[in-house]
Amino acid sequence: MFFHIVLERNMQLHPRHFGRDLRDKLVAKLMKDVEGTCSGRHGFVVAITGIESVGKGLIRDGTGFVTFPVKYQCVVFRPFKGEISEAVVTMVNKMGFFAEAGPVQIFVSNHLIPDDMEFQSGDIPNYTTSDGSVKIQKDSEVRLKIIGTRVDATEIFCIGTIKDDFLGVISDPGATS
Amino acid sequence: MSGEEEENAAELKIGDEFLKAKCLMNCEVALILEHKYEQLQQMSEDPMNQVSQVFEKSLQYVKRFSRYKNPDAVRQVREILSRYQLAEFELCVLGNLCPETVEEAIAMVPSIKTRGRAHDDEAIEKMLNDLSLIKKFE
Repeated sequence: MFFHIVLERNMQLHPRHFGRDLRDKLVAKLMKDVEGTCSGRHGFVVAITGIESVGKGLIRDGTGFVTFPVKYQCVVFRPFKGEISEAVVTMVNKMGFFAEAGPVQIFVSNHLIPDDMEFQSGDIPNYTTSDGSVKIQKDSEVRLKIIGTRVDATEIFCIGTIKDDFLGVISDPGATS
Repeated sequence: MSGEEEENAAELKIGDEFLKAKCLMNCEVALILEHKYEQLQQMSEDPMNQVSQVFEKSLQYVKRFSRYKNPDAVRQVREILSRYQLAEFELCVLGNLCPETVEEAIAMVPSIKTRGRAHDDEAIEKMLNDLSLIKKFE
């Protein structure tokens, strides 16, 4: 799920930037530093949308660098256990399939795919029901439930399931072509 | 780490910080990111080079899964759903997935049926009807 939250960060700025456009420099550096990063607590920082406040700078002894506490608004993406989300299938193999919901990767193991769906190898590996009516392959859109998250220093991975009511394929690219 | 263990969106356990935060539907995120992308386009020739992979992936994702494209419709969805005393998170899950039946809605957002909340099937049905009307007239 996407959220709009306020975060705070201490920004260090080199004295050469002190001048009329100090604030602009500070904001540009903030965007460069935090956009695209990921933390376990807040998830992926997608985009900064505004600056709430820039606090008083503190000169650091010995270096001349100044630290400014900056409060900023941003859009973050944070997956939660138990959340139901739509995702695009990116890879299918006999172990299961990978899907992406925004910046996060979700793995659905073949144990968590309904039992009546069988793995079919070939040019386009896929999972298909015995009557062939439902097919999961690359680029399929699926609705899944996140049942576990693993937090890395710079990334979040999720485990999902489609073995529940109202979960599974929403559209498959093969049907239209 | 104990807080991490108990996290469960189905029971609306998403941590205080996120529970109070403003939640965004995919269609709202699409509006925000597209606006930002346009701004970048004006500043440089090749904006795709400027943005992070996270931004790019998110933009593609929300464009693909936005139920409502028109900004007025997006605003209406939020307005209608906010009449039903939903938590921000629940509101956005419903807005994103647009369930068609009461059963489906409860499966998607189990917390709307938990004790102490005044959502009977009729109220949920009405809410889903209101939602599908916006879609129809968009």
